[in-house]
Amino acid sequence: MGLLTNLRDSISRVTDGLFADDEPKRIGIYGPPNAGKTTLANRIARDWTGDAVGPESHIPHETRRARRKENVEIERNGRKVTIDIVDTPGVTTKVDYKEFLDHDMEKDDAVRRSREATEGVAEAMHWLREDVDGVIYVLDSTTDPFTQVNTMLIGIIESQDLPALILANKTDLEGSDVQQIANAFPQHETIPLSALEGDNMDEVYTKIAEYFG
Amino acid sequence: MPHQCTSCGRTFPDGSKEMLSGCPDCGGNKFQFKPAGATDDVPADDAGRASGSSPADDATDRRPSAPADATPSDQAESTPNDQAEPTPSEQVGSTPSDADAPTESDGTEQIADRSDEDTAQASARSEVVSPDELDRASREVDAAEPSQLADEETQPGIDALRDELNDQFESIRIVSPGQYELNLMELYDRQEYIISLQEDGRYVIEMPDAWGIQDE
Repeated sequence: MGLLTNLRDSISRVTDGLFADDEPKRIGIYGPPNAGKTTLANRIARDWTGDAVGPESHIPHETRRARRKENVEIERNGRKVTIDIVDTPGVTTKVDYKEFLDHDMEKDDAVRRSREATEGVAEAMHWLREDVDGVIYVLDSTTDPFTQVNTMLIGIIESQDLPALILANKTDLEGSDVQQIANAFPQHETIPLSALEGDNMDEVYTKIAEYFG
Repeated sequence: MPHQCTSCGRTFPDGSKEMLSGCPDCGGNKFQFKPAGATDDVPADDAGRASGSSPADDATDRRPSAPADATPSDQAESTPNDQAEPTPSEQVGSTPSDADAPTESDGTEQIADRSDEDTAQASARSEVVSPDELDRASREVDAAEPSQLADEETQPGIDALRDELNDQFESIRIVSPGQYELNLMELYDRQEYIISLQEDGRYVIEMPDAWGIQDE
């Protein structure tokens, strides 16, 4: 009996997995370089799985390949939401190796980093077209959000009808202006946070569950 | 004379086939056309004013009374206006089909041309070119066109085309090694995916599979 029950349970689990419509949604973390996307991805992954997604750095374009963390199970108000997090390279319209030279980098390394960063942007744009079910758009709240890249990406996300959550990151820094971001994209809800310090992450998780659950 | 070479000034009779392969004297391929209704010396506009009509009425008034005067380009402008409100009898006379649908306007214009064109134009269109004219035509085209085209049109054309292609296809511009400009919309729109950039400016791309191509 026990064997049969186990077998039935296994089959049931497999078929449930095959036909469940609540497959993990793939959520892309997008934004310009150095907005804190990887810091946020690591924060979410560490909070719910104990692992990290990738290395963080203050040098722009540290993330040059999209990195994925699968089956991140977020529990909110007694409800579980499972998502795959895709940490993407920062999106920009110009990549110049010279900006890396300021960070004590040799020219050869800077040129290589620049090339890889460019490939990373291409990859991020490709993922946006093909492979994400929702977007967490991360902005550095100490910088001006009215940029061509932000406008274009938010426009693309809207045209795709993707659910999008806008996060105003780095609220721990002086000069953080969350309202400026809210004003820039009034059609979306803006959630302030400090991914580095873990400030306001509760609200972020609540909104993730609400938007992508 | 109805046709005049704009390069050397040589004139040709109405409907002349000589000029079809370029001016026999200078090889020029631009000709101005003076309608038969206008006198040789007086421009068409002046002729119209001399008849007493106002400049505004000029374009619309002259054509129904003197259809032979109208050039094809003039007619193309006038037919939509002329045929929008004519009486049914006029419409039947000039155009067998009605001109209600915008898509049919081209057809009605052609029909109008056919009925209104003068005999020389009709012969130029319908008669078969004789073999010796054909020989001469091919020789003259070969001699005249390459020099002119190379000087005037081909060079700017290539530059414009290059710009256009860059605009259309360039998703990543390599300014210099390590410096790149990215066209985000192009990167987003393209189906294939750029995996890596080579030092020599080549891309390695991942093509969508065959099913994807057929679906497009």
